[in-house]
Amino acid sequence: MQVLRNVFRRKVRVLLTISGITIGVLALVVMGSMAERISVMVSGGTRFYADKVTVTAEGGASMFGNSLLSLKKREEIKAVPGVLEVSASVGTLLDPEAGMSFGMPPILLGDDMRGDPYESFRIEYAAGRPLRAGELGSVVVGSDLVTRLGAEVGKQVTIRGEQFTVVGILDKTLTAPDMAVYMNLADAQRLFAQDLPEMIRSFVDVEDLVTTFTVYPAPGVDPEELAQTINETVSGVTATGPSFFQEQIANATRILNAILYGVAIISLVVGGLSVINTMTMSVSERTREIGVRKAIGASDRQIVRQFLTEAGVIGLLGGISGLVLGVIAATLGDIALARSNVDLFLVTPRLAIGSVVFAVVLGLVSGLYPSLHAARMRPVNALRYE
Amino acid sequence: MCPVIQAKDVHKRYVLGRNNYVDALRGVSLEIEPGEMVAVMGPSGSGKSTLLHILGCLDSLTAGEVWLDGRRVDNLSGRELVRLRREELGFIFQTFNLIPSLNALENVALAAQYAGKSRGAARQVALETLAAVNLPNHHQHRPSELSGGQQQRVAIARALVNRPKVIFGDEPTGNLDSASSEEIVALMKTINKAMGTTFVLVTHDPEVAGACGRVIHLLDGKVSS
Ligand SMILES: Nc1ncnc2c1ncn2[C@@H]1O[C@H](COP(=O)(O)OP(=O)(O)OP(=O)(O)O)[C@@H](O)[C@H]1O
Ligand SMILES: [Mg+2]
Repeated sequence: MQVLRNVFRRKVRVLLTISGITIGVLALVVMGSMAERISVMVSGGTRFYADKVTVTAEGGASMFGNSLLSLKKREEIKAVPGVLEVSASVGTLLDPEAGMSFGMPPILLGDDMRGDPYESFRIEYAAGRPLRAGELGSVVVGSDLVTRLGAEVGKQVTIRGEQFTVVGILDKTLTAPDMAVYMNLADAQRLFAQDLPEMIRSFVDVEDLVTTFTVYPAPGVDPEELAQTINETVSGVTATGPSFFQEQIANATRILNAILYGVAIISLVVGGLSVINTMTMSVSERTREIGVRKAIGASDRQIVRQFLTEAGVIGLLGGISGLVLGVIAATLGDIALARSNVDLFLVTPRLAIGSVVFAVVLGLVSGLYPSLHAARMRPVNALRYE
Repeated sequence: MCPVIQAKDVHKRYVLGRNNYVDALRGVSLEIEPGEMVAVMGPSGSGKSTLLHILGCLDSLTAGEVWLDGRRVDNLSGRELVRLRREELGFIFQTFNLIPSLNALENVALAAQYAGKSRGAARQVALETLAAVNLPNHHQHRPSELSGGQQQRVAIARALVNRPKVIFGDEPTGNLDSASSEEIVALMKTINKAMGTTFVLVTHDPEVAGACGRVIHLLDGKVSS
């Protein structure tokens, strides 16, 4: 209580300082909650690509590469030792005219579903049921596309100008399937071919079109090594193991995290500087008080402790109010974004605790120099000070 | 019996610049016996405050020796000095110097806490000491809510709370009207008689000096009589 009274001796100034920290912590919480959300998405994403080998046309290795492969390659790949099953799919942008967008673009995925029994990434259905192999004219819609397509189980949706019946809607997975529409391979091949330039279209056999093979390794076979073997034995394809995708995602998030946390830390450092300023002013205003305290028996350490506690309390108050505002901002932000079905913020316990602890530490570190300065004053000099 | 305070040829030089210094004390020697109440008088600038600070272990000296209770103290380490200030010495000031954010009780208890008492024990001894200085009420008042005389009582209680051997006062009545001044002098006299606490009081006030058993006169940094 005595600490609070000392802290609030100069109300306006201390409130300004606390607001400085508050803003810093607010930034840390908001930015950090975005980073936390991304890290959850990434761990979902890396799980999605785990234990599979993805095969695309040579040189066209990208997450949604659409260079063309021939279905005939399937048998060749299947013959590689260690391959359990190979599923063929056509993946393309849901809306080929779409420009750049934030995050993943919606995709359209047609699959022969041969891999389904071996798929380790379990998908739950919010409504309806999985697509059956060979079931033409039907789709399953990822959770982020429900509103956009107006999807409802049993109803029709329009995809690239054609009508499809929705048989299932996916639960949120926080990764690729959220932004995907699933259909059978033959449907996707047809839609894909329609969009090819005239010149190319006349050369390709629609039923032979494939953009990606997904290879499921036999039990005990390392996917990275299997990818290597496929690259060595099958011509004209590039096989990539899970680590490629994991690294690609990790790199992207690392940079994003650095930017997000960087912004937050800079604003906190500014808050810290204002603590140094406030504590320095407080110490010089209380020079005489420090002299008196020493004259009545305070040791240097007791003086340091007193001023450090005050600085720590300033940090703590700023940290708590910043956290509260940050949680409110993140919640309001998510409510505002809910209509577009985007979850952008995630305030995890470690972020919440970390921000407050950081604010306290910042207060202590910033208060250290002024406190030591206060403790080192000679009692008589401090007493004579008017 | 050995004197409670002994100064042997104490010099103090304030160095202000390369060839610029002030010799505030120029060989002060004195002895004060336990239980004495001594006034230090002299014109402004004669070195009274400087002497008080050096005897009270708040300032270092340039040459000479200071002994407290038979022990040399001018060469002690910082820790030892802190212990002395806590346990054996008390201070009161012209402007009272109570801590403005603390109430009367907390101001007194603070000194006891610095000396190592727990919160509860410090509070208890502070209550007793406030009663001893005739301020049994007003515990919750902040210094700004107290009269000058009341503030000086709190300050005396704060100086007294650890039962020191000596209490130093630098013009303790300098900011008080004559009625309060008389009360404070009477209070110090009572404490001096009842508890045997030694008082060393710098003063310009002949009334205060008159209440003391002895007057030490300083002139230009030396004892003049
Ligand atoms: N910190 C200091 N630095 C330099 N000179 C000082 C310092 N403190 C005191 N002096 C000088 O030392 C001399 C003695 O000062 P001191 O304060 O001891 O006098 P005093 O007798 O207490 O005077 P007063 O009655 O005005 O309080 C004065 O000339 C003063 O200017
Ligand atoms: Mg003086």
